[in-house]
Amino acid sequence: MKIIIVGAGEVGFTIAQRLSEENHDVVVIEMDQNKVRQIQSVIDVQAILGSGTSPSVLQEAGIKESDIIVAATDSDEANLIACFYAQHLTDYITKIARIKNPEYMKHREIFRQDFLNIDLIINPKSEMVASMLRLMEVPWASEVIDFVDGRIKLIGITIEDNSPVLGRTLSSLNDYQHAILVGVIVRGEKVMIPGGQDTIQPNDLIYCVARREETPHIFRLLNLREEGLSRVIIVGGGETGLALATSLDTTNINTKIIEKDGQRCLELAEKLEKVVVLNGDGTDREFLMEENVADVDIMVVLTGDEESNVLISLLGKALGAKKTVTRIGKLSYIPLVSAIGIDTVVSPRLSAIRTILQYIRKGKVISEAPLKGEGAEVIEVEALETSDIVNIPLSKVKFPKDAIVGAIVRGEEIIIPRGHNMIKPHDHLIIIALKGAIPKLEKLFTVKLEYF
Amino acid sequence: MHFRQIFRLIGILNFFLGLSMIAPLIVSLVYSDGSFLPVLYSLLITSGSGIALFLLIKITDYSSLSQREAMAIVTLGWLSAGFFGSLPFLFSGSIGTITDAYFESISGFTTTGASVLTNIESLPRGILFWRSLTQWMGGMGIIVLSIAILPFLGVGGMQLYKAEIPSPVVDKLQPRISETAKTLWKVYLLITLLEIGLLSIGGMPLFDSICHAFSTMPTGGFSTQSASIAQYNSAYFEGVITIFMILAGVNFSLHFRFLKGDFKVFGRDPECRVFLSILAILILLVTFNVYGTVYHSIGKAFRHAAFQVTSIMTTTGFVTGDYAQWPGLSQIVLLLCMFIGAMAGSTGGAIKVMRIILLVKHGYQEIFRLIHPHAVRSIKLGGKPVPAEVLNSIGGFFILYLTLFIVAVIIMSSIGLDAVTSFASVAATIGNVGPGLGLVGPVRNYLSVPDLGKWVLTFCMLLGRLEIYTVIILLAPAYWRK
Repeated sequence: MKIIIVGAGEVGFTIAQRLSEENHDVVVIEMDQNKVRQIQSVIDVQAILGSGTSPSVLQEAGIKESDIIVAATDSDEANLIACFYAQHLTDYITKIARIKNPEYMKHREIFRQDFLNIDLIINPKSEMVASMLRLMEVPWASEVIDFVDGRIKLIGITIEDNSPVLGRTLSSLNDYQHAILVGVIVRGEKVMIPGGQDTIQPNDLIYCVARREETPHIFRLLNLREEGLSRVIIVGGGETGLALATSLDTTNINTKIIEKDGQRCLELAEKLEKVVVLNGDGTDREFLMEENVADVDIMVVLTGDEESNVLISLLGKALGAKKTVTRIGKLSYIPLVSAIGIDTVVSPRLSAIRTILQYIRKGKVISEAPLKGEGAEVIEVEALETSDIVNIPLSKVKFPKDAIVGAIVRGEEIIIPRGHNMIKPHDHLIIIALKGAIPKLEKLFTVKLEYF
Repeated sequence: MHFRQIFRLIGILNFFLGLSMIAPLIVSLVYSDGSFLPVLYSLLITSGSGIALFLLIKITDYSSLSQREAMAIVTLGWLSAGFFGSLPFLFSGSIGTITDAYFESISGFTTTGASVLTNIESLPRGILFWRSLTQWMGGMGIIVLSIAILPFLGVGGMQLYKAEIPSPVVDKLQPRISETAKTLWKVYLLITLLEIGLLSIGGMPLFDSICHAFSTMPTGGFSTQSASIAQYNSAYFEGVITIFMILAGVNFSLHFRFLKGDFKVFGRDPECRVFLSILAILILLVTFNVYGTVYHSIGKAFRHAAFQVTSIMTTTGFVTGDYAQWPGLSQIVLLLCMFIGAMAGSTGGAIKVMRIILLVKHGYQEIFRLIHPHAVRSIKLGGKPVPAEVLNSIGGFFILYLTLFIVAVIIMSSIGLDAVTSFASVAATIGNVGPGLGLVGPVRNYLSVPDLGKWVLTFCMLLGRLEIYTVIILLAPAYWRK
């Protein structure tokens, strides 16, 4: 597939890198000379110096033969104009635009069916808010990713020193009545797709696949404290903070929001109903103790200052907050902060990258964890009749070593498979794989990986 | 430095180089000229050494190939190709000494076309074919060829490509580097086939047509005849070869765009316009200079002037007339051509028209700045601003080119060669042209140059083909420091 990416900021760059590693033909359009040079020497894509808002540059990039254009510059207007020209130059191209301005988002239908025909509009902030809300549904998890409208969940859990499953082999977990499948284990900086004989070690981050109705079973098995989410503190009352607080406003969760700026606090108070608005500094230890951070289930730190976010989260942890969610913008910081004890990181860019990649090839990226180099991914695939993998038991299928079938979706039925299960034609598969195994998977399904 | 990676890749390179000897092997079978066994032994040794390197050195990570390693791979790869490429000459007894065989082999791969052979017609056809094939492979680049074949190089491929492609700016034609390399080779192959066809139609024997096309397209210059193209004395052959020498001297990305339907691309490209203008002016100048003094008809004067100027300026080095006997002005023009060279991104050598244009523009800018001290100007090529770093790199290249040229000339003259020979032999080898003047003139060859001189010239050929930086950096102590 040929994909044009406009803008090589962190989002554009990461998407280009991922797609190029998956053997797509990628052309990047970027205005900054230095970035163009850097891209050329780091990833195998064609980098064109110029503006994505110029039809001639788009043509030079070969828009006529391209399948997808991703407009991911920092400017909403540039992204819209790039899509506008793309629409003008070719009829069939899939258009993805990153839009930040909430005003534009309100009227997104204009950009979709009515006028520009943009296939996917991404707002990094609202993507991030959505992923935070998902996380709150399963508060004991460090990450939750939904599949099939949330009927299948991939849940990341950090194993503590006193966990009952320590040292047990994964196949022994399957003796239980309910099906749980451990798809990925992240140990230190190593990511692996485990087999039945692998054991669980302290401080492992494991990713389990489970049906929605069986998620409570997972934490019973792991003997996690089953407490509903009752107290949340949000530090930082910017747009994201407000959006999150607004979503929580209608729930029974006791929510407080801390904001430094008095004027902004007034605005927040006007917009929020039940949420308690506090005017204060998140780095102030006395203030946090006063507001009883020790009893908080989740502390969400969303101020505009990256470094403060990390420190506030650590302070919150030290004061007894059960869990912290920290906003980190710079992708290069993420592996570092995980190493110093930050539980969960959210990033608007990461959310945007994830949504775009997912749209392009129905794959979801697991990358919250301190994954160095090779990351794991989850892909949805349809098994075709002609494929070599159908109608034989899974244990007999020659599957790549670094990939595993996490779930089989057969109509309404969801199967968490074991070795004796069989894949039938037209089943949808949820496959977990390390990045390196994706080309092999693609071969196994030969052009059958579902892209659209 | 990842030495394992470097040597493993060179192993792969050797393996493919060995495989390419299958072609001369077939030729020697067809003509049963007695070169079958020498070529077979060379093949086995070359591929065998490649397999040995590949199997003995175990690594899996190709992605971390940095620019530094890429330069080492390219330079060492070329040195090793020169060595293994000389085996068929040695084993068949066509060339007696290692020095001469290595000189001939590097001259082939670097598309120089300087030869130590005296009686070319008497050589086995398999060996002659190998001689032409080395040029053809070296023209578009043996590394670029392996990038096209080996998809796993990924980003590392880009670094290798940059280190080998003869151009100050690298043009990526396709999103993937392996596709870019494949595209270039396809265009190259297509034009070569076209030339073979046109020469055959004109009555040149098929074997000669193939060898000459394999020699024209890389702007090499090896011929199957001792007297080069003059042997045929055919205006048709000379015309066809002149046109294809010009095509070979044009940036191959322009050919690619042309084939994709952009028919005005040659006229639009500023470098191409300057290249063709310089060529036209110099041809006219030489025509009028040799008319009446050497040739007595204007047609004949034009025919030889056009062929010879094109041959030298595109750094091919075919010969139809003994230009050593031409008047002084013509000789100076041809010497000048040896420095100008063809377009960037072509298979030609020397300084290249793009660098000349930018150097002139840079010079003019300095004058302009003296007149208008407050003026702010940017140097443009075809309406697009040229980045300062490209200009700096061109300035550095020019100075290094001249410095190395002077050093080599001093060495050549100090081992007893006359001034003209010293000057012309270095100009003709560092510019990858082939024939020079004096003892190494168009109807003579490099056999009489002393051994030390041959090694100096061999090094010059490599410097010229890999555009100096890639080779010379390996001599910098800082390069090897951790």
